[in-house]
Formats: sequence, structure tokens, C-alpha cells
Amino acid sequence: MKKSRLTAGVVAGLVVAGTAACSTGGGGSSDGLTFMFRGGDDEKAAYQAAIDRFTEDTGVDVEVVVSDPDNYATQLQASIAGNQVPDVFYIEQANLQAYVNEGILLDITDAVDELGVDLDNIWDYGVDSYRYDGTLQGTPEGRLYGLPKDIGPFAFGYNATMLEEAGVERPDPDVPLAWDDWLEILKEVTVDTDGDGEVDQWGTGLNVQWNLQSFVWSNGGDWTNEDRTEVTVDTPEFAEALQYFTDLTTVHGVTPNPEQAQTLDTYQRFMAGEIAFFPVGPWDMSVYNELDFEYDLMPWPVGSTGETAAWVGSLGIGVSATSDMPDEAVQLVTYLSTDEAAQETLIDANIQIPNRIDTAQEWAAEPDAQPANRQEFLDIAEDYGRAMPAAFTYGAAWYDELWVDIQPVVDGVRPADEYLAEVQPRMQALLDQSNEDAARAAEQNAQND
Amino acid sequence: MTSTATPATTGLATAARMKGARRKKAPLGEGSSRLHRSEQKWALAFVALPVLGYLLFILYPVLFALYASFTRWNGLGAMEFIGLQNYVTLLGDERFHQSMWNTIFYLLGIPIGLALALALALAMNRRLVGLTVFRTIYYVPVICSIAAIAILWQWAYNGDFGLVNQFLAMIGIDGPNWLSDATWSKPAIVVMMVWKGLGYSMLLYLAAIQAVPRSLLEAAELDGAGAWQRFRAITLPMVRPVTFFLVVTQIIASAQIFAEIQIMTPGGGPEYSTASAVFHIWRQAFQYQQMGYATSMAIVLGILIFIITLIQFRLNKRNSFVLD
Repeated sequence: MKKSRLTAGVVAGLVVAGTAACSTGGGGSSDGLTFMFRGGDDEKAAYQAAIDRFTEDTGVDVEVVVSDPDNYATQLQASIAGNQVPDVFYIEQANLQAYVNEGILLDITDAVDELGVDLDNIWDYGVDSYRYDGTLQGTPEGRLYGLPKDIGPFAFGYNATMLEEAGVERPDPDVPLAWDDWLEILKEVTVDTDGDGEVDQWGTGLNVQWNLQSFVWSNGGDWTNEDRTEVTVDTPEFAEALQYFTDLTTVHGVTPNPEQAQTLDTYQRFMAGEIAFFPVGPWDMSVYNELDFEYDLMPWPVGSTGETAAWVGSLGIGVSATSDMPDEAVQLVTYLSTDEAAQETLIDANIQIPNRIDTAQEWAAEPDAQPANRQEFLDIAEDYGRAMPAAFTYGAAWYDELWVDIQPVVDGVRPADEYLAEVQPRMQALLDQSNEDAARAAEQNAQND
Repeated sequence: MTSTATPATTGLATAARMKGARRKKAPLGEGSSRLHRSEQKWALAFVALPVLGYLLFILYPVLFALYASFTRWNGLGAMEFIGLQNYVTLLGDERFHQSMWNTIFYLLGIPIGLALALALALAMNRRLVGLTVFRTIYYVPVICSIAAIAILWQWAYNGDFGLVNQFLAMIGIDGPNWLSDATWSKPAIVVMMVWKGLGYSMLLYLAAIQAVPRSLLEAAELDGAGAWQRFRAITLPMVRPVTFFLVVTQIIASAQIFAEIQIMTPGGGPEYSTASAVFHIWRQAFQYQQMGYATSMAIVLGILIFIITLIQFRLNKRNSFVLD
């Protein structure tokens, strides 16, 4: 009697533990959808509005899971490992291929088509970022695995009030400044304003990891060749751009010196009105619009090609391949990405540009727009913006390698070309490995199908 | 029921029952042995719970990790067995070697911290006004969230506005940009670790010092030993068990330093100068989807910590003494 009770208890315990461990509850509960994302209060509020409308229209409840930005990737990976993938979730460009190859992301090409979403009215870059043809990501021919949450064109900007006071002409919104001409302006505005013998106003103050891209590209350099197999950071064009970039600080002294130039500081110095030229992303508008000087956007200064360049980022929203309600999940994605009311909330919060092209054009043409040259964001989005070098490769280890040892170059104690020649083989080895991994994963995926 | 861990009363009761059973020599004896067996079963059931927990949550993950370290695995999909290849790769992985060296450098903070903690404990052992206030102040960092502390120190180390450099400027020293300078970033982290751990070590030392028998100190004093001699010959050896405990636990903890590094130097510091072994492992596993490779590094780190701890136990055994 006792024995059997005991055995029963142990067995019951094991059964409970076993089922808990093995349950294949992919996609959460069957009477609703789960949506996992990261972001601030503005985004939360905007998405709640879109989700409420979605629930009203379809009768499907949505459970929202918010994560803080630093933990999002880890939390998503944990939910995948635990077979509890949310129905709808944010997806980074750089993770898309891995998630598709592991069968985690649903192919939403046909479902989006059936819902009659006008993809032509969404930025090509935003949609194509989530297309993948099994080999290359970002191509217009690939199958669709997500829609953009937003796209982030990284524009260049300036303190108009400061330039006016210094008697410098406002930069032309259509004709980019050449590096040499720009440097002259930088020298002109780098001054000691209070006469205490120390410079307290600078031309610019840039962060190599986030701002070098434009300089390299407009000088005819790039990180890789077109099919992303060769690392090309050891070209003269690339080296010249990096050298020009670091010379601004170490030779010309038109930026705060290295001790003063931690990223946070130049950002705050710009906001304090101590820096003339500084990059501006759409997410900066909410803060910059409150500053007590006028700022505006301009094309990035150009190197030898004369063509301006800028990077544009994106975050996507995808659907779990194991979702119990795939059709509703895809519909939710379209609400989040393109719903007009939700878009309006996000635009009013000044944290992104509109996803819909027609809305964006109206937004840029508003008479009292702030910044006045909002069109620059749109030009980047549809014309001269490029993806970050590692956005479409299988992991970013090869790309991060460039930054790890770059400090001596930034400090001016090491020439750019020497450093780039040394780091190229290491980056190449990592890129080779990432391409191998991508090929292997794609092959496995093909076998699984 | 012979286990010494059994509460004394149960043991006595069982013994009494067994005695009774023998005296009566009756078939009832069978009954008591049935009771005995049943009790043993229940005991096993209770023991089974922690054992089950150990198997499920420790042994299984460890074995799983060991297997994962022999595979190519991105943490999402299927694992592909590749034998020792990950271990061969890490032999030639300069970044891994660098992160191991950085981790060893961080261990420097332990002797510094212990010496300071002991000195502080000796000071706190005197009767001073406001003693409790000081003790509390030194203990505050121990109970603070590590994330908050890391952010605080990140500000303190700011080259421009940081508290540290402001203080140095007051005494005429032009401080470096601590966390952006490959030479100074590691010492900066060590200083923070020492500061954070001081209160805990001090508290344990204080308890150990107060436990030193007064009679020993008085006897030494009568024999003419000075303060320094008393400290060296009596106090120091008497607190050795605490020192041993602190060294062992702190090496294990410091070898796994991660949160401070990730918050204060998100990319691993200038020229990877602050990246700890665990930081490097985390980066490979969660940023670069090299879960299999990262696991092999974790196994190597685990084995190294185990060996160091083993050596410490050996050394301690040789040096240990017994107070009669």
C-alpha cells in the first residue's frame, strides 16, 4: 500500500517534470497571439494602439511581451531554445538568415500578398532587408520573411545657429561639401569662445564605429566586395578615408581631443551647442527638437567620388514558423508595420520616419517641419542609403573585428593603412567562416524541406 | 539507521525497538523490520528529491555542455559532431588567449583586496567613535546591484568629467582616460573589484579576529611580544582559515567576472583589453551564434578553475594546523 503510494508519487513527479520539459507549445496559447518586442514607452503606446485596432477588427487577443533592448536577443534565443517562440517578434537583419535556415521564421510572401498590402508604398530597403533567396539576403527576388518595424536613415546635421553666428553659409541640402571645403569650415568654427585660452567650441566630434561608413563609401571604398566574399578594408580608398577621419582629431584638432571625445561626450557637447556638425538619426529628433538652437540636415561631406553616402538600418517584425495562428499573426505584422494610426503615433513621437512612402512625403513637406530638411532622411531611404556592412552576412564577428584594435589609429599613434593591412587577414578568416556557416546552414535547411 | 546524520532521537527509538524485538524473539520482529524497511524507503524518497534536482539541473546540463563542446552548433538548430575541432581552434584563438590573460590579471585584485580588508578589519576591531557607521559604509557596495555599481564607476572613470580624474587633478595628476586606454583599463576594473569586495572580506576578517582567544594574545604580551609580533605570530595564523576561504571563493568568482565588463566596456574595451573569459564566451555564444565553440571555451575555463581550486586545497592541507 505504502509502497505503491510512494511509487505513484515519484512517477507522477517525473511525469509532470517530463511534460513540462518536452511540451511543444510553440506559438503560445491557441486562443491568442503573443508579440515580443523591445523599446521605449513611445513604441509601447504606439503599438498598443495598433494592437487594439487589430483585436477590434479580428477578435484575436494579443499578449504583449516587452524586453529591454540589451536583453532582447538573449531572451528571444531562450524562448526559441525552450520551444516557446512568440507568434510575432522583432527580428534583426543580421539574424534573419540563421532564423530562416533553422525553420524559426515563417515565409510570409503569399500571406502578405493575399492581405493586399501595397508593398510598393513601403521603402524598398525596408522590405528587401527581410527577403532571402537561400543564398543572398536583401535581394528583391527573395522570399519575404518579415516587414520593417522601421528604417533608420543616418543623416548628417549641423547647428544652424552656431554657423550663422560664425558667419558661415548654411550647407546646401543638394550639393554635398567636399572634404577639403568642409575642413576649412571646421577650422573656422573651432574656437575659444570665452577667451580663457582653451578651445571650447569644435567643428565636429565623430565616433569611428558609427560614422566612418559614410567617409569610406564616398571615397570609393567598402568593407567587402559585392557578393560579400572578400574583405576589402586594405584598399587605398579605405585607408585614405580612415586617415582623413582620424586626422580631424589628431592633426587638425577640429574635434574634442581623445580624452574629451568619448561617444557620450560629443553627443552631449552637440546638444550643449559646443559642436557644429553631428550625425542625426530619426530617433534623435525627439530630443534635438527640444534644444535651444536650430539644427538641420545635410548630405554627408564627400571624398574622391563626389557622391554622398550614408547607412540606413532597419529592424523587422517576423512570424514564428510554429505559430498556431499563422494567418492572424501575419495580419498583426501588417498592422504593426503599416497601420496608419500606429504610424501616426510613432511619427508624432519623433522617433522614426513613416514606413509608408506617401505618408513620408507629406511628412517631409510639412511647412513647419523640424528639422526643416526632413527630405534628407527620405533621400537616404530611397536614394543613397546603404545597409551596414554586416547587415546581410551570417553574423557580424568579421565586421566587429575591425573596431577591436582601432583605438591606436584613432589616437593617431598608428597609421591607418598599416593597421588595415594587418587586420584584413583576420577579418577575412572570420568572413570565410561566416560564409561557410551560412552555406552549411542553408544546405541543412534544404535537406529538411 | 546507523547514519550519523540521523537525528539522535530516531536512532535511539530504532535501537530500542530492535532491542525489544530481539528480547521477545517473536514473529513480531518481522513487523518491526518491515517498519524499518518502510522508513528507509521514505528516507530514500526524501533523499531522492535533491538528488533528482542535482541530476536534472547540474549533472545533465554539464554533460550536455560537454557534448555541445564537441559539436558545431549555433544554439538554435541541429548539432553537428565535429570531435575535438573546437578545442583545436581555441588553441590558436588569439582573442581567447587575450581574454584568459585579462582574467588572470583581474585575479591580482584578490591579494590587494585581502590585504586592505585585513588592515581595515584590524582598524575596525578597535573601540572608535562611529564604528558602526564605518562598518556599514564599507559594507554598502556588497549589497548594491552590480549593474548600478558598474554604471557608477563608468561615470567615475570618464576622462573628462569623471570623479577619479577630478580627484587626481586636485593633487596635480593628469589622469588618463581610464576605460578608453588599453594600458589603464584593466587596472581600472581591478580597483573597482577591490572596492566592491572590500566590505565582505572585512566583515569575515573582523569576525575571525574577534574569535582569536584573548589568552593567547595576553600570554604573548607577557612574554614581551610587541604589537607587530603578536599580529604576525598569532592573529595572522589564526585567521588563515578565513583567508583560505576568501581566496578560494574569490578566485572562483573573479574568474567568472562578466556583468561589470559588459556594462563598463560593451565591446570588450580598447584592443580587447578588458574582455574577460566569460565575456568572450558570451560574445561568441549570443552575438556570433557560435554556441558549440563557446561551450568548449567554457569547459576549458571550468577545468582551469577546478585545477586551481584543487591546488589550493592541497596547499592549505600542508599548511593547516590544529589548535589543541
